[in-house]
Amino acid sequence: MTTRTLAVVSAGLSQPSSTRMLADKIAAAAVARLEEQGFEVAVESFDLRDVAQDITNNLLTGFASAKLEKVIVAVTGADGLIAVSPIFTASYSGLFKSFFDVIDNRSLTDMPVVIGATAGTPRHSLALDFALRPLFTYLHAVVVPSGVFAATGDWGETGDTVRSLPARIDRAAGELVALMKDSQRPSRVHDLFVLDASFSPTGAYTAS
Amino acid sequence: MSNAMQFGIFSVGDITTDPTTGHTPTENDRIKAILTIAQKVEEVGLDVFATGEHHNPPFYPSSPTTLLGYIAAKTERITLSTATTLITTNDPVKIAEDYATLQHLADGRVDITLGRGNTGPVYPWFGEDIRQGIPLAVEKYALLRRLWREDYVDWEGQFRTPLQGFQSTPRPLDGVAPFVWHGSIRSPEIAEQAAFYGDGFFSNHIFWPGSHTAKMVAFYRQRFEHHGHGTADQAIVGLGGQVFMRKNSQDAVSEFRPYFDNAPVYGHGPSLEEFTSQTPLTVGSPQEVIDRTLGFRDYVGDYQRQLWLMDHAGLPLKTVLEQLDILGEDVVPVLRKEFAKNRPALVPDAPTHESLVLAAQAALVQSSTEEAK
Repeated sequence: MTTRTLAVVSAGLSQPSSTRMLADKIAAAAVARLEEQGFEVAVESFDLRDVAQDITNNLLTGFASAKLEKVIVAVTGADGLIAVSPIFTASYSGLFKSFFDVIDNRSLTDMPVVIGATAGTPRHSLALDFALRPLFTYLHAVVVPSGVFAATGDWGETGDTVRSLPARIDRAAGELVALMKDSQRPSRVHDLFVLDASFSPTGAYTAS
Repeated sequence: MSNAMQFGIFSVGDITTDPTTGHTPTENDRIKAILTIAQKVEEVGLDVFATGEHHNPPFYPSSPTTLLGYIAAKTERITLSTATTLITTNDPVKIAEDYATLQHLADGRVDITLGRGNTGPVYPWFGEDIRQGIPLAVEKYALLRRLWREDYVDWEGQFRTPLQGFQSTPRPLDGVAPFVWHGSIRSPEIAEQAAFYGDGFFSNHIFWPGSHTAKMVAFYRQRFEHHGHGTADQAIVGLGGQVFMRKNSQDAVSEFRPYFDNAPVYGHGPSLEEFTSQTPLTVGSPQEVIDRTLGFRDYVGDYQRQLWLMDHAGLPLKTVLEQLDILGEDVVPVLRKEFAKNRPALVPDAPTHESLVLAAQAALVQSSTEEAK
């Protein structure tokens, strides 16, 4: 059976966290669809809270601790990524941004990504499209058209009753799975030690 | 005198407030202190003194050959080197001239470590673009090599005005260019460049985990062999290191901690304990430093040069001199003996001017024998 790996990154801070809950729900929907189509799925979930100190240290020293390195390797080597942040002060949280700041900016190229966000009210929902989406576009990841936003009300009866949270999750998961099915990512993970074919140790100068 | 392995120090050249006293040395204090430190390196029996190069505060060494020229006159034995010389933003013609002059002044006790520099504004200050760091390092070194090896150079490249019939003077001492190390923390292109020419590769080693250094050095060794300069274990490797020592381990930790916690490079980040476990930094007794340093060989193979960062982060001159005493008396003699054990005969000794002159003479004899056939 063919395996697909799905990385899930949540920047929620409280425990339990609604950000993590949303990330898990999107992951479960994606896993169900992939399994339906005959894939075996390995899910690797990470709460950035667990490596918050390591991320700050990496910003200051330039290298990742062994613990953070494991997270980075798992995330950048996956076939698909679900990235969910709480919305703080009109944007993604600083911790969420810092994590994507410390990974190599080439390492998410072509990565299928679902973006998700949580906040107290639906009035923050555009942050998905003005903050999270451009961040991943900069990294040359492929962000699926549907982002999933969950306001506190979405977890109860005051949520959107026409397009419910489960329906929005399912739609985004479907878009992610369509990209993950044909993923070649793990074979294309950037190897630092494979030099660009055009590199010459003597340069391009004209000898005499 | 030739050593299988050379030991010495490399100085970043930072002017940093001593966090324990609030005292900030003047530029003049620091420049005079480094002269004392370099002479102490020779006095305690180490082999190499290397200075950094910077063009912005809080660093003083913008003019390395001026500094090294003075030290050359005040010492007799140690090799004078750099860590690193900015190949990207210096004119290779000026590097060729300055270091050949230094080579004559120091009777050959000179080599050079080339690096790209990671201070963004230095590039535009010298008319370059940091995004061209690798192409600059590659092209400018290719020219530097020719300037030292060919009497008259015609040259045209991307990053410098062309040369027609140019001769760099003085010619290198005894017709042999200073040995060149290429330094890089994370760019395999530079390891490839070093391997291509059969030059040395110096890994800074002190800010990143040993596992990373191991990969860079392994790559360089394998490419050195690929380019036909010998077997992988004959490649010329240098490592950085960072230590602070007192007779009692705990004294070293408590004395060094405020300097670590406030150091410009890694201060206010990981704890001393975390950084010690994650990088080669060793704070403890001389024996702990010996054990840790001997362990480097396990992941880079037998190597030629070990330099330590000693004078930084606001450490007072007196402390630095005490550290050098400990290195010279308790650490390096043991390391020389221990590193010599099980070192395969085929592993070359650290290159010196004398060894390069002998190699050049041998090559000359061989080529004339072949012509005679």
